[in-house]
Amino acid sequence: MVLQQKSIFLFVVAAALRLAVFYLFPHITSVLSEQAEIATPVSSYKRLLEGLFLYERGVSPYDGGVYHQAPLLLVVFEFLPPAAVFTLLDMLIAYNIATIAERLALPSPRFRKLDGGQLAIAYLFNPFTILSCLGHSTTAFTNAAITQAIASASTGDAFGTMFAAALGSYFSLYPALLLPPLILLWAQTKKVQLQLQSIVAPAAVFVGTLVLLLSVSALLVGNLWDVLISCYGAQITVTDLTPNIGLWWYFFIEIFDAFRNFFIGVFWIHLIGYVGALTIRLPEQPLFVISSLIGLITVFKPYPGISDVSLYLGLLPLYKHIMPLTRYTFVAASVLLYATLLGPAFYHIWIYAGSGNANFFYAITLVWSLGLSMLVGDSLFAVLRDEWEMLRPEMRGKDVRQI
Amino acid sequence: MGLLRSSLSNLRTSPRLLAVPPYISLLCMLGGIIWILLLPLDEYSRRTYISENALLPGQVHTYFHGTEQNIFRAYYHEVADVLEVQTKTAEDGSQQYMKATPAHRNERIRSIFHNSGIKTASQSYKYNVGGQELHGENVYGIVHAPRGDGTESIVIVAPIENFEKQLNTNGVTLLLTLARYFSRWSLWSKDIILLVTPDTSAGPQAWIDAYLSQHNPETVSSLTLKSGAIQGVIVIDYPFRHLFHELHISYDGINGQLPNLDLINTAISISSSQCGIPTLLQSQHRYAKPEHQHHYLNRLKVLGHGMRNQAIGHSTGAHSVFMPYHIDAITLTAIGQGREDEMAFGRVVESLTRSINNLLEKFHQSFFFYLLLQNTRFVSIGTYLPSAMAVGAGFTVMAIYLWLKSGYEQREQGKEQITKPTERDDGSQDKIERALADPNITNEQLLKQPSAGGVDRVKTKVWKSVDRHIALPAALLAILYLTSLVPMAILVTAEHETLLTRTGALCTVIIMVPVGLSFILADNTYLVDTNILFGPSTAAISANGVPKDLPEVGLITTDSSPPLDPSTRLTQFHAILKALSLLVLGLQITVLATLNFSLSMFLGVLCSPLAFTGYYPSSPLRARASLISIVLFNPFVITNFAIMGAKLAGYYDDSFGMKEVLRQWLEAVSFGWSVWGAWGVPVGVFCVWLPAWIVAAIGVMSSFIADEDGTIKNKVEKVKEDMKGGVQKVQKAAVRDSSQVRKRKK
Amino acid sequence: MCSLLQQVAQGASKHNAMMFLTFLYLAACLVLTTLATDYFERLDLTPLPLGSLLASFEFRSNETLSAYNSQNFRYFPRSLGQVLQHADTKELHLRFSTGRWDTETWGARPWDGTKEGGTGVELWAWINAENEKEAMRKWITLNQGLSGLFCASLNFIDETRTTKPVLSFQPAGTHTQNGSLHLLHGVLPGEVVCTENLTPFLKLLPCKGKAGVASLLDGHKIFDASWQSMSVDVRPRCLTGQECLVEIAQTIDMVLNIARAKRPRGDPIPRPVQPHELICDETKSYHNHETCYPVDALETPEWSLNDVFGRPVAGACPLCDEEGPEAKSLCLHVPHSQGVWIGAGGFEVRSGPGEREKRCWQLVPGERFDFDMPKTSVRTHAQLDLTDELITAERTMTGHGAAKGGMRTVFTNPSSKDPVDIVVFESLPWFLRPFMHTLKAQITDTGFPSEWEVIKDVYYRPAVDRKRGTQIEMVLSIPPSSTVMVTYDFEKAILRYTEYPPDANRGFIVAPAVVRILNQVDATGNAKAIYIRTTSLLLSLPTPDFSMPYNVIILTSTVMALAFGSIFNILIRRFVAFDEVPENKLSKIVKTSRFRIALLKERIMGKAGKKE
Repeated sequence: MVLQQKSIFLFVVAAALRLAVFYLFPHITSVLSEQAEIATPVSSYKRLLEGLFLYERGVSPYDGGVYHQAPLLLVVFEFLPPAAVFTLLDMLIAYNIATIAERLALPSPRFRKLDGGQLAIAYLFNPFTILSCLGHSTTAFTNAAITQAIASASTGDAFGTMFAAALGSYFSLYPALLLPPLILLWAQTKKVQLQLQSIVAPAAVFVGTLVLLLSVSALLVGNLWDVLISCYGAQITVTDLTPNIGLWWYFFIEIFDAFRNFFIGVFWIHLIGYVGALTIRLPEQPLFVISSLIGLITVFKPYPGISDVSLYLGLLPLYKHIMPLTRYTFVAASVLLYATLLGPAFYHIWIYAGSGNANFFYAITLVWSLGLSMLVGDSLFAVLRDEWEMLRPEMRGKDVRQI
Repeated sequence: MGLLRSSLSNLRTSPRLLAVPPYISLLCMLGGIIWILLLPLDEYSRRTYISENALLPGQVHTYFHGTEQNIFRAYYHEVADVLEVQTKTAEDGSQQYMKATPAHRNERIRSIFHNSGIKTASQSYKYNVGGQELHGENVYGIVHAPRGDGTESIVIVAPIENFEKQLNTNGVTLLLTLARYFSRWSLWSKDIILLVTPDTSAGPQAWIDAYLSQHNPETVSSLTLKSGAIQGVIVIDYPFRHLFHELHISYDGINGQLPNLDLINTAISISSSQCGIPTLLQSQHRYAKPEHQHHYLNRLKVLGHGMRNQAIGHSTGAHSVFMPYHIDAITLTAIGQGREDEMAFGRVVESLTRSINNLLEKFHQSFFFYLLLQNTRFVSIGTYLPSAMAVGAGFTVMAIYLWLKSGYEQREQGKEQITKPTERDDGSQDKIERALADPNITNEQLLKQPSAGGVDRVKTKVWKSVDRHIALPAALLAILYLTSLVPMAILVTAEHETLLTRTGALCTVIIMVPVGLSFILADNTYLVDTNILFGPSTAAISANGVPKDLPEVGLITTDSSPPLDPSTRLTQFHAILKALSLLVLGLQITVLATLNFSLSMFLGVLCSPLAFTGYYPSSPLRARASLISIVLFNPFVITNFAIMGAKLAGYYDDSFGMKEVLRQWLEAVSFGWSVWGAWGVPVGVFCVWLPAWIVAAIGVMSSFIADEDGTIKNKVEKVKEDMKGGVQKVQKAAVRDSSQVRKRKK
Repeated sequence: MCSLLQQVAQGASKHNAMMFLTFLYLAACLVLTTLATDYFERLDLTPLPLGSLLASFEFRSNETLSAYNSQNFRYFPRSLGQVLQHADTKELHLRFSTGRWDTETWGARPWDGTKEGGTGVELWAWINAENEKEAMRKWITLNQGLSGLFCASLNFIDETRTTKPVLSFQPAGTHTQNGSLHLLHGVLPGEVVCTENLTPFLKLLPCKGKAGVASLLDGHKIFDASWQSMSVDVRPRCLTGQECLVEIAQTIDMVLNIARAKRPRGDPIPRPVQPHELICDETKSYHNHETCYPVDALETPEWSLNDVFGRPVAGACPLCDEEGPEAKSLCLHVPHSQGVWIGAGGFEVRSGPGEREKRCWQLVPGERFDFDMPKTSVRTHAQLDLTDELITAERTMTGHGAAKGGMRTVFTNPSSKDPVDIVVFESLPWFLRPFMHTLKAQITDTGFPSEWEVIKDVYYRPAVDRKRGTQIEMVLSIPPSSTVMVTYDFEKAILRYTEYPPDANRGFIVAPAVVRILNQVDATGNAKAIYIRTTSLLLSLPTPDFSMPYNVIILTSTVMALAFGSIFNILIRRFVAFDEVPENKLSKIVKTSRFRIALLKERIMGKAGKKE
């Protein structure tokens, strides 16, 4: 059993809190589910309902510009009450984090055994998590899949890893970027040498699952091509420019049409670039690579929401032992805090009060992204330095420089 | 680069630097206030100008004269007959006074509309505020633009009772005459909606809510007649019969939102340039002679009035309620004894309506954030915002300072504490306190300390970083902020009868909260380490601000640092609590500054003393000073001062007692909350000011209560009497202390 | 002969000479007497309440299908015909409208709203094509051609503004090849209709507005009207036992405010009248020479054709036939009791008993005609026995803010006993995203107690970003004497800054909803269509800052570069202890200078020391 008594109790409290709001204050839910920070075009619950409505009436939800989410979600919400689904998802994610934390064992002398319960609770009571759960952000599915993948990788279960990863990629594409570190993690826990043949099987599982899922979707809504275009095409070529906390929307509103495709390419390459770099530089710490990647993806993906952030903030404490080595965490934290409060204010000023223009909100998204990337970079620095100190123990606490 | 970094790391540890932040934050706050005072100068304000070219103010000929006046006179008879109290002579020759019923009144107005071939409708509404029901009926007519497609509209409003509760007979008549006059033009590109409301507060709100279908159908009936998107609103207010001299333009909206500056400029330039009628702002006529409007003092007064209205965020006329829906609106009020007649007023409205009619896009060109100083000068956001930001920054600086201080302390290898040298070093004051509070430091050491020191010696000292236990303070702060919603809810929902009693009860409770809390906290055993629960988050922050280049840093991990002795824990607890609350305060001030500048400015100034109060168990002087400031700067005392001020300034005649004024204000707040959704004052006081004050108060109280050993008891009485004694006593105490200090110095 | 006729017709179209027309007319009568009437025109004048006047012009001309196909145009305008043939269009309906029809004052719409379009330009056509793609191609061609022909920006009707209604429109003509016919519908709600559209419209008429009732059509008067609608309908008609015809019907309907129309063209400003011209209510107690309660607005001043149209009728158009019921080309719908002074140049014929009272005049070619209508007192539309609308529809947007909103349409069925079934057709731009799961219909007030299912059926075609707009067709049934409110939420998309119009902050105009009233029958018992159109709406979208594409590109790129730079910097560099760092120039210089200073001090101090 991963969790102790107290943690379980707090799990129950968290679940109760969510359910209570869902059923006692449905108004809050409906308001939150339309917030720009929570509901992006690819994770909005209102759009999901629209898709569901069309799907139940035999109209293909993908023959339209509103619904860009995976077909399986339709089936899920056709039968299950949303409140239960989202609460359970949060519980699952928290439980996975707990598992990962319990499994985690690092060579670093700073490292000390983690209490999984703590991390899980920290995730569950993180306001970002609560808000995005109350706001019915369907990113929760992706997050659940990712955490599940990590959890099974850290338990050395290749099949589970690949299946979950495939599921995540099916939901929202980008978890596929986490494959390399996931495989590394799995290999690390299984102590297998990474040769081609050792990877073949997992890869096969991944592809197989993906194919299976897609074919099921095809059966569900008929035209597979529409699904691909409307689900993943929309995410890759950013057609819907609804404001969110990311960097893409305003850029691609203002970009000149001639350069649009070029810059879309550049942005994606930039995002993918981190995968290789981090994986190659830190092959020993795939888990950290994964969490940093999630952080970076949260900053640089087309439609980020705060539930992506909540996942990153949930995984970051796995490496709390390197915190003494970080340099700007306080700055980053306060920057994020300011952006969190100023964002909605500026959105209101722009959209409702009409007294400010789009630049207000845009500026805040810039600040937010800076703060997050500062956090990622700082933790990265700390981890690297930790590694270095393992090589040269005498360098403990000395002032260092990078050249 | 390397050099820079090393010098930085040296700086980090130098005691001088630790001494600086309080001064910086003080500087920020003073700077912010001074900045505001500079604004009225010509160097910082700008001349107004019209940036929307489509408006073309005063470029059209106005034709509202001649026989239109005959019609006005006739309509005046009709309207006065139903609006004003009529004296009828009965058969027996006795005078009897009678006033027409609202229904009759509206019937008459509708008939006049109909007589000019205008479609009319009416809307009834009722609001229930504080147990009192408030109901009325709006009447409105729509002049369809003959060739328009009904996608846009202009609204002209005439409240029957204006903001000062005077009867606006002339205004309503003018509206009706203009309606007839406008309906004969074919050049309108937008429909013209002519609205007659019973009052300026609830009627317009009900109407605009229903127009945008944001209303509650149970209490406010829907509109049967609608038109397109409203582009602008003009309110006509002519509350007397005689000729007027100037036009007063009021523009403040609900929650301090302002109309587009272009609308105001257009009105001013039309009125003064085209029609030769002088214009006034912010009831200048009360305090400024027309020829002195450009004087610094008068500009400052206008600025002050504007900021006050913005901060309170309540209605200042029928126009205010349109602002939250991003509809630009102003009220034109006829003022003074002069030679301008209703036709001149009508021509101003005609020309203004023509200008708005010219608009191709909705108002978007000019400023939405501005402070007017005079009808031709304004300050734009870029110029005035820094002041509020500076004040907010002041709090943040203090927060960071306290945070750093709570993060580590100086020790030598081994457990015994040695404090820093203390010449010219206020920042490390509480080090001494800690030393005092620490039983295992002997007096000799204490005596030694002043002599001990010299910067070079600091270098030999080591900075021992302690991990911060933020769980308890964070939790306490969260609880405080959450519970601060309760008194707000109680006040805004109170029945008007029980308002005062409830407020009194609240005051006492709230005053007692910090005292009680500080008693609880004084007992160190309550400071259990709640780290288990909030482990990760604690860890995540526990090492912030730890100078990374200190030798031990490597060894320190969140769990392995030596446990702190209770008094240090207490000090640290208070430091962290204060730091967090100041951080939140600074944040709130900054965010508010973007939503409602004036409100955040006032709050910032009122809270500024709280930044410097703190937990000084062993320096009575500072403790007492803190006590004075928290007693002076708590919401209730300030409210009392405000009421006195208002009475002195002559807003209320002497028949009003303090209680009466207070009751009025509270009723206004609850009305604003429930009808207009004016959140400014309640949220500002209960969610920003009060929690910050309570935290400060906890610190101060604790410094009287908590001490090294069981001397809590006797302190308690002192604190209690201080509380009871209120201001004067405390001041006495302060005086006494200062004398003691002098003695000490000798 | 036909070829001769063509030349003549062209000649007529080139030069404006009556004799050509008369010659043409004679020739036509000479040769083609066998055919049914080939040209017909009519002006109906109906006084409305509040001093308004409804003038509806109608012009019809025929062409046999064979002649039409062989491009042998006589009355059918060649320019239009060729465009239609080029685009393979079998049936065409084109509408130009400005202003609003005021139902509650003016009663039911003329032509039951069938000849009327929503504000702006509306166009729908049945095009013969194998598949949708080809139909769309031909449709675009048609729009291009028409936009050139009518000086309207019809070429802006692209895929995103084109819809394919299923229930709302039925072909008015008789079609043989129904299988391959495609109905396409496009609308430009923002288009401002004005004289440049009227001129080509008149050019389509055989008499070119030189003779006949068309001679009354003057741009200044038409476009000063309170409401006006021009329509062009082309349809094939096959009467049994005759050869199929291609019929073109053009109508112009307008509601003139008589008082306004009578103002001299040079000075249209409604200046305050002189005191003696005021029409006051003398009964008022306060009435005196400078206090006047006006009563002029409600009554209709005296008027004549010359007053309201600026000119009298310039005789009949010689192309329409001289006798028979269709000859009477000018009708005034007033009761016989109403006196009208008519001038020369027209034979008056009064309507017989039974039908609605009116008097018509048969005009004579070349002779001007006018009449004087005396001042009439206040008359509500009950007194004018105007028929009421079967149903009233009002569409407004709810909510505020630039992110989302709601659509709210209110239908009122005044009739006390029979319910009304309607089809509501809405075509929305793609950047307005309706949420169909929020579609609700509620009966707000009703005198009809029992349960009622309002929404019978919904045809919904969701929008695709930048490709096609939303198309909603709802079949509703409105219970008797009740008001139904249909609402749904929508979300406003934010566009690329190049996709905004120059006046982005005005907002976009959303096309009016078309309401078709189902299963109605006319007097003779066969089914007829009745249409109502709501007003168009103004949709305000969130706007970016148009002035700073460069700034945005630069700032965003900077942020990304910072993140990228810092992270890769950390990744690729290796750690060394601070003291192991090889000295760089700067530090060297600093050190040496420090050393120098120390020396200097040393020396000075030394000297000082010596002195003592």
